[in-house]
This record gives sequence, structure tokens and C-alpha cells, in this order.
Amino acid sequence: MGFVNPVDPNDPAPSLPGRNRLRLVMVGFALCFALIAGRAAQLSMLAPDVHRTARSDTYRSPRPDIVDRNGVLLATDIQIASLWANPRKIIDVEEAIELLTAVAPELDAKVLHKKLTKDRAFVWLKREVSPAQQRAIHNQGVPGVGFRNETVRVYPMGRLAAHTLGYVDVDSHGLSGMEKFLDDQGALYTASLSDPAQRASLPAQLSIDVRVQHALASEIQKAVDHFRAKAGAGVVLNAKTAEVLAMVSLPDFNPNKPKHAQEQIRMNRVTSGVYELGSVIKAVTFAMALDAGVTNLKGKYDARHPLVIGRARINDFHAQKRILTVPEVFLYSSNIGTARMALDVGLEGHQAFLRKVGLFERMITEIPEAAAPLLPKRWSKLATVTAAFGHGFAVQPLQGAAVTASLLNGGRLIRPTFLKREHDTVGGFAKQVIKPQTSEQMRYLFRLNAQKGTARKAAGEALGYRVGGKTGTAEKVVNGRYSKNHRLTSFIGGFPMEDPKYVVLVMLDEPKAVKGTFGYATSGWNAVPTAGKVISRIAPLLGVQPEFDEEELAKLAKLRAKDQRN
Amino acid sequence: MLKVFNGMLVVGLVISAFVLYSLEHSMRKHERHIASLKREISTEKETIKLLNAEWSYLIRPERLERLAAQHLGLRQSRPYQLVRREELTGMVSMRPTVEPSSGSGDLIGNILKEMQ
Repeated sequence: MGFVNPVDPNDPAPSLPGRNRLRLVMVGFALCFALIAGRAAQLSMLAPDVHRTARSDTYRSPRPDIVDRNGVLLATDIQIASLWANPRKIIDVEEAIELLTAVAPELDAKVLHKKLTKDRAFVWLKREVSPAQQRAIHNQGVPGVGFRNETVRVYPMGRLAAHTLGYVDVDSHGLSGMEKFLDDQGALYTASLSDPAQRASLPAQLSIDVRVQHALASEIQKAVDHFRAKAGAGVVLNAKTAEVLAMVSLPDFNPNKPKHAQEQIRMNRVTSGVYELGSVIKAVTFAMALDAGVTNLKGKYDARHPLVIGRARINDFHAQKRILTVPEVFLYSSNIGTARMALDVGLEGHQAFLRKVGLFERMITEIPEAAAPLLPKRWSKLATVTAAFGHGFAVQPLQGAAVTASLLNGGRLIRPTFLKREHDTVGGFAKQVIKPQTSEQMRYLFRLNAQKGTARKAAGEALGYRVGGKTGTAEKVVNGRYSKNHRLTSFIGGFPMEDPKYVVLVMLDEPKAVKGTFGYATSGWNAVPTAGKVISRIAPLLGVQPEFDEEELAKLAKLRAKDQRN
Repeated sequence: MLKVFNGMLVVGLVISAFVLYSLEHSMRKHERHIASLKREISTEKETIKLLNAEWSYLIRPERLERLAAQHLGLRQSRPYQLVRREELTGMVSMRPTVEPSSGSGDLIGNILKEMQ
């Protein structure tokens, strides 16, 4: 408005006041665009990070695979397609049925017809369609049918180690065994395996060895069949690390079809049942007496007469009716001798020792099914006497195996585990329960019993592997009374006895006397040879070298000759 | 002057629009490619899992035992079949040995002759 810009007098164009305004607008726009461009650049550069954090909030870690100690796959998640249909969209029902049954003959035409004529928008036709079938159905191009992928937990090894693995429900929640552990107590462990960035997780590695598991399972199955037992169970434990290499309880179930898994007969006897394991408990009494110093291997016990406590009389099964030395008490499994040993230690000492080896409390491992020991209600003199040889004192077999491992491995009690454990990390868990010298005496007694005593047949089956063991035959309580005809036989032992590496426990529930056992159904005739067979199969797998003494060499030559004849 | 500047801006706009569009286009192409690769990877991973499961199903010890007995006539090993490394050397020396220096010429031929 008549104002002349004095700053720019040389400008040929007329200096209009609008010019400055224009510049202002241009600068303003330039600033705006720069801002927008800058923000756009910032967003595009930093976007991936923002994106990723937003996604990981909704990320659910996948169920880890389960592998054995050598990396063999035991459980995994796979995607399986399921066939569904929308009946409203199917034009020709008969044609669709014809096409579908041609590819999937297991589909029932009548059921299919009923499903496809319903007035609904969604019906499942078949769960778990194989990839080949899926392709074939897809290629037929039937309108109104489709597939939906579902994650299914599969156990490729089937029944093998079913009780250790457990199983999951349809929503992939662990219901028992390690599967439950991975969800509940082991959630931290599960989380440590998963890698959210990769949307994957490392497998959970168990201490189980499938080869040992199979050997144990097949031998116990054979024994259950042969001796017509109601059930059988067994454990192989690493004596130094307390890792469970195999755990079997028969009858078992197929975790892929866990419909029957809940049945009482199929329960996991090794951890969720408690049994009067005479074999284990007697060995504990011996270790206690030797460790306390109330007797030694040269000690003697009077087993001429039954032991009378109040109105109860304690008898021996293999009655010798004479004075027995300590090794003889062990060899003949004398109830009288063992009871006297416990009495020598005293009621207080007995309880204190049982508490020390953990037999008074429920043993906790990864497997959630763990039963607490069944103890005498009142710790009287009679209770100590009967508990000394295992009457009225029931524990879970796995706990018994762990305690026996501690008696043989130099006195170190270690909580068993189903996860692979590094050898050098064991020290932290171990608790010294008996002196190493006592453990040495126990090894001597176990070995002697396998050479001359009730566990002879175990050493006979496993030539060269220096087996040592203790047997137990408990009468089962039927209708509130101990029954002579319902027995629970057990064997607990280890090998090689000079430095036990593995502990084996075998238990048979109500084995019968069969041909070849001369009417006997005690442990020495069924549980013991079964354990021997197990050891002869697993020792070469576990790298234990056989060594033979004179007697064994003779037997070996006989075996060889017999093999060559066949 | 302003006209030239505006003209340059328009040309610049057109060029940048073209560049932007072609960038966008190629980016979409890459994204599609990435998505298809990701799909392929996940399919492959799924297949690997399936094959692993199948492998594990095929190496069930019970099945291997049955097949080994059926087709190879293998049985459970006996303790006398296990030999230590130290013993092995002893067993080898008990076999008739051929002195390599005794014959001349074809050493392996000599050994074969000896064996016959």
C-alpha cells in the first residue's frame, strides 16, 4: 500500500508488499512439509521395533517338544487339518458324499448325509485328516467343504514312557506327568526353553533313555504275562546322579488316546502308589544298624525262636531256627534278625534315621503324581519291629529306589529327577546319609546276596555284570488282613557292585506260581530273574563292561554251547 | 523467475511421484515375496516337524527289535560276544599270521594263498 521495500532497491520487479507475504507462506509450507517428511522418515525407520513389541504381547509360547536324553523325539506338536462343511453351500449333497467317501472310505455315508442336510452353516466332518487325503479332497473341488488347521500333540513312541510323559487335553493343557510339569511347577523351565523372537522353543530333554525304557518295559511285560501278575512296575536309576533312565508301570496307556489313562489299574505305580517294599526297607534297616555301630558284619542275631512283642509273634519266611550272623540275616531275609537290629538301634534312633533318609515325607520330583509314604500311626515298639522289615510301612517305589541308590553309592542321597542332569551339578543336591564305609558294607551284603542268597537268579541272568540286590516278598492286605496268597514281590539292586552306576527296581503285583517255579511265587522266582534279564539287556547299552569269575565263565561256556547248537 | 521456479517444482513433483510410485510398487512386490517365503518356511518347518515325528515313530525300539529279528536274524547279544579292546589284540595274534617278508612280490596275493 504504497510502501516501498528499502532493502531491495535493485529488484527490477516492482516491490509489492504481497511478495513478502508470499515468502512467509513459502517458508511456512516448507517447514510444514519438512516436519511431515521428518515424521514420515522417523516412522518408517523405527516402525519395525514398535511393531515387534506390539506383537510379542499377544504371543503365546508354543508347547516345547520333549526328547529323551539322546535327543530322540518323544512328544511334539504337529498341525493337522480337520475337514468341515457348510451344508447351506453344498449344492448336490449326494455327489458330495460320493466324492468324499471315495477319498475317505472311513467316512460313513449315512452319517454324512445326516450332517450335510442339516440347516447349519458349520459342521465338522472328520478330525485329523492326513496330508494325502487333504490334497485329494482339495483337488475334487467339492463346494462348501474346507479345512481348518489344528495343533495336535503327538507321541510318536506311543506307549513307551507314557507315565513319564503324561498327556494333554484337547486344548493342549498338560494333565499328568511331565506335560503337567511343563505347565505348572516347571513353567519357569518351559519359559527358559522358549525363544519368542524365533517363535519356537528348545525341546525339554528328559533323563529317560528310550532304549533302556524299552528293555525294561518289554521284560516286565513278559514277566507280567508269564507269572500272570496283576501288574508290574520297574525303575532304572542312575546311582550317581539319580536321573531316572526308565520308569515302567504296567498296564500302561497310549498318550495319543488317553481315554483310559484315568483308570485305576493304569495308574503310575512307581510314583503315585505306595507299597510295602520289604526289599528296600530291610536294606535301610541294615544300613541304619551298621551306620549306628550297634552291630557289624561279624555280629550275630538269635533267630531260633519267633520274636514275641505283646501279643504279636514275628516269624521268618525262610526260617533257619539258629543263630545267624549279620550277612546271614541279610541272605535269609530274616524278619527276626532285622527286627532285633532295629530294636538295638532303638525307637528314637530308628525314626530319626528314617527321617534322615526322607522316608517320612512325600518325595517331590517333576512328576506331579507323587504319593506320601504310609507310616505306622503310632510309633510303638511293635511298629518299629514291623517297620524294620517293611510291614505297615509303605513308600512310593521311586523313593525306595532313590534311598537304595544312596545306600550303595557311598551314602549320598539325591532327589531323583526326570530331566537330564549334568554330572557335576549333582553335588549341590546330595545329602550324606550314611558313612562311605557303611555304604561299602552294604555293597558287600548286596553282592553276597546275589551270589549266594535270594537274589541268585538275578546274577545268573546277568552274567558278568556284578549284580547285587535285595529281594522282598510282602503279603498284601486283603480285607484288612495280610493274605498269604496275594503277594507283592520286589527286587532292588545295582550293578556293577564294586562301584554301582545303576540301580534297578522291579516289582510284581500278585505273581502266581507257574510251571518251573516249583509252586513258589516269592520274589526270588519272579521279580529277581526279571531284574536279571533287564540288567543283561541294559548293561551293554549303558557301557558297563562284563567281567567274569570262574563260576560265571563255566556258565558262559555252557550258554555258548547251547547257543551254537540252536 | 517465479514461473520457472514453479515449473521446476511441478516437474520435481511429477518425478518424485513417479519414483515414489515405482518404489511403492517394487516394495509391494518384495513384501509379497517375503510373505510367500515366510509361508514356505513355515510349511517347511511344519513338514520337518511332521517328518521328525514320523522318523521317531519309525525308530520305536519295539519296531526295530521286531524288524531286526525278522529280517536280519539278530538276537539279544550274549555276554561272551562282548570283547574288550585289550583282549582283541590277543585274539588277533592267535590267528595264523602271514609274514609279509617271507614271500616276494604280491603281498596280498600271498595272504590270500595262505588263507586258501
